Amino acid sequence: MTNSNYKLTKEDFNQINKRSLFTFQLGWNYERMQASGYLYMILPQLRKMYGDGTPQLKEMMKLHTQFFNTSPFFHTIITGFDLALEEKEGVASKDAVNGIKTGLMGPFAPIGDSIFGSLVPAIMGTIAATFAAQGNPFGILMWVAVAVVYDIFRWKQLEFAYKEGVNLITNMRSTMTALVEAASVLGIFMVGGLIATMINFEVTWAPHIGDKVIDVQDMMNLIFPRLVPALFTGFIFWLLGRKGMNSTRAILIIIVLAIFFSAFGHFFFGMK
Amino acid sequence: MIQWWQILLLTLYSAYQICDELTIVSSAGSPVFAGFVTGLVMGDMVTGLTIGAALQLTVLGVGTFGGASRIDATSGAVLATAFSVAHGIKPELAVSTIAVPVAALLTYADILGRMTTTYFAHRVDAAIERFDYKGIERNYLLGAIPWALSRALPVFLALSFGGGFVQSLVDWVDSVKWLANGLLLAGRMLPGLGFAILLRYLPLKRNLHYLALGFGLTAMLTVLYSNVQSVGTAIEGILGIDVFANLPKEQMVSFVNNFKGVSMIGVAIIGVFLAVEHFKNSQRTVVTPQAVSESGEIEDDEF
Repeated sequence: MTNSNYKLTKEDFNQINKRSLFTFQLGWNYERMQASGYLYMILPQLRKMYGDGTPQLKEMMKLHTQFFNTSPFFHTIITGFDLALEEKEGVASKDAVNGIKTGLMGPFAPIGDSIFGSLVPAIMGTIAATFAAQGNPFGILMWVAVAVVYDIFRWKQLEFAYKEGVNLITNMRSTMTALVEAASVLGIFMVGGLIATMINFEVTWAPHIGDKVIDVQDMMNLIFPRLVPALFTGFIFWLLGRKGMNSTRAILIIIVLAIFFSAFGHFFFGMK
Repeated sequence: MIQWWQILLLTLYSAYQICDELTIVSSAGSPVFAGFVTGLVMGDMVTGLTIGAALQLTVLGVGTFGGASRIDATSGAVLATAFSVAHGIKPELAVSTIAVPVAALLTYADILGRMTTTYFAHRVDAAIERFDYKGIERNYLLGAIPWALSRALPVFLALSFGGGFVQSLVDWVDSVKWLANGLLLAGRMLPGLGFAILLRYLPLKRNLHYLALGFGLTAMLTVLYSNVQSVGTAIEGILGIDVFANLPKEQMVSFVNNFKGVSMIGVAIIGVFLAVEHFKNSQRTVVTPQAVSESGEIEDDEF
């Protein structure tokens, strides 16, 4: 239970939705990505629930600045579950809140990115571009109209998730855990699929041995197509597990590595 | 000549479009929208739409995954349209000589923006310690400044210094081809970081087989689909599009429409199936068979 025993109202949901829709990713950064955005979004409600200046508030504010990144089209579903838990159990729900946030951000990220980050822009972009190529801006207006529709969808999901969350917590605690687990199965499966389609680079090195040309990429395709992206992602995964490694450093390492490969190929193998 | 107020408006638009992409995603940050706006500002809407359309088609399906950077075709469209109208460059030429190199180059402005915002996240941390609620909110919102500058500053500089400046920059990058290629390679590698970070936060160890299945299935389908696509293009190239015009209409339409990339929704359907199965299995109450009892007798030997 929270100090104030505060119950969220319609105004609270409206405030969260407003902050979510108009500011959610403005503070996105490499280190903790959407984390500070998540805190900003629910800060007024946290203050009401735990009370200003209390150690509980500080504890929960710190919890909500931990790494968080998911699809900006689904994040308020997670917020709804989170708030249902916190409203009922307060600081005692800290571990459960953390579990739900990290458990659901993974599955929602690839699903949201595939649909809203890739498919919708592909369809609406084709329509808009087809019109635009004939000098007609009508297709752009259609795209904006579709954007209004999905923004309404984004607005609606918070309260829905909150109500479902309250229901699940009071009646089916074990179902909730199983749902999070099933969602992460979907998330992991989708990440596997995205690795296979979204990382597009190949080995162009083809050494000459005598008269023979050995096409390295061709050999690798014999083993398995898309082996290079898989190995690369595995390497980065391993790299992130090293001590003192964070995503900013990993980015720098990737850039240096890429330039090194390119320079090596250019200066030693005479590639273009 | 580009007027000062045109530079101002386009700079403001560039600052706005990235914030729009981060929040309401109204499509104002798409290349075709950028071409449209720039065309209006420069007084030649049709040129803007033409350039915007060409760039929109080149980035189709290029999404940003797990926070990875992608080429900035939007700023590319702004600059290509502005220079095309101001200096009378042909739209097609502006796309290939200005928009594409600029879009690739600005990937790095994006990375820089994403890095500098970290500074404000640390200030939020400090404000939490002081219970400084105003400070938390202010420093969070200030994070939008590096984001806005990552688009607005390059566009402002390029427009103010003119096409010659952009051209010499592009030429310079072209002269150090290995560096340009390296940066391009880095851009293609970066989505891998997004996926690796995601995997770090998913219960990977006990679900590794799902990752392998998702990867294996999609990898094979992708190769299959792209090969079918190249066969389609090759046939079209050999026979010419006219041959299809002779076919009955339905046949022609169905033939041309069959060469598409692999559908990620299809992959997602398989994923949903697996998740549902997983959920059902966990809901089933597991009746552990009575193991060998203490006396060593098997109590229940019926099958």
